[in-house]
Amino acid sequence: MTDVLAQRSFRGLADLDAIESVHDELDGLWEDAPFVQDVDQMTFATAVIESASNIVQHAQPAKALRPVELGVEISVQPTLLQARVSAFHAKPPFGPMTPGTPGDDSESGRGLALIHALVTTVTFERQDGTNTWVLTRTSQD
Amino acid sequence: MEFSHEVKDSYAEVRADGRLNMVSAPKLREYVTDVIAGGSSRIVVNLEKTGFMDSSGLGALIGCLKAARQAGGDLRIASVQPQVKMVLELTSMDRVLTSYASPEEAFSND
Repeated sequence: MTDVLAQRSFRGLADLDAIESVHDELDGLWEDAPFVQDVDQMTFATAVIESASNIVQHAQPAKALRPVELGVEISVQPTLLQARVSAFHAKPPFGPMTPGTPGDDSESGRGLALIHALVTTVTFERQDGTNTWVLTRTSQD
Repeated sequence: MEFSHEVKDSYAEVRADGRLNMVSAPKLREYVTDVIAGGSSRIVVNLEKTGFMDSSGLGALIGCLKAARQAGGDLRIASVQPQVKMVLELTSMDRVLTSYASPEEAFSND
């Protein structure tokens, strides 16, 4: 059984307010788990916000009258940080899921590459109309 | 995020206090565009109290840099905090957005 030392979650409409709420949950998580090293907090929080922002910006509803919801579940385990960042009621992602290499003057397109650089593993699942990014970061200890 | 600015002798210092994410990134663009339109094309963005920046925020800084250069000036960043420094380095954009220890140093050699 997984030993979860602290956890936080959020679920709500995938809009701009949701991003600030996820920030607040992350801040609360680090208060609950102050033993997580600063570098791990910083990198993991950035990856979670990048993933959530990707959903808010790009996820399309599967049905016209049911908006996409953002779900974030974050847990602290003894040597592992894990987050499940989900788009509920969403179409499958459109376009490449691989990191791009935008030019120096490009103002977008760096998010996926940044996520991959920040965490140990990134996996993507689609089940029952839900797209989920699973991010893990192994402690630097 | 809260924005403010102060026009100095040779540049305008813009402060962006808080989280520079997809919520605040368009507001930074708009704020800096207004400062440039007001006659200051040499911009220093003081990031002393910017505790978080994601790729949206980075994109906004790049947009502001382009706007400043199109107006004949430049944009530099100062007092960068560890999380912002990490994002700049991981995206290799530290080569493009020149960082200085303090706002005063940013245009001191021009």
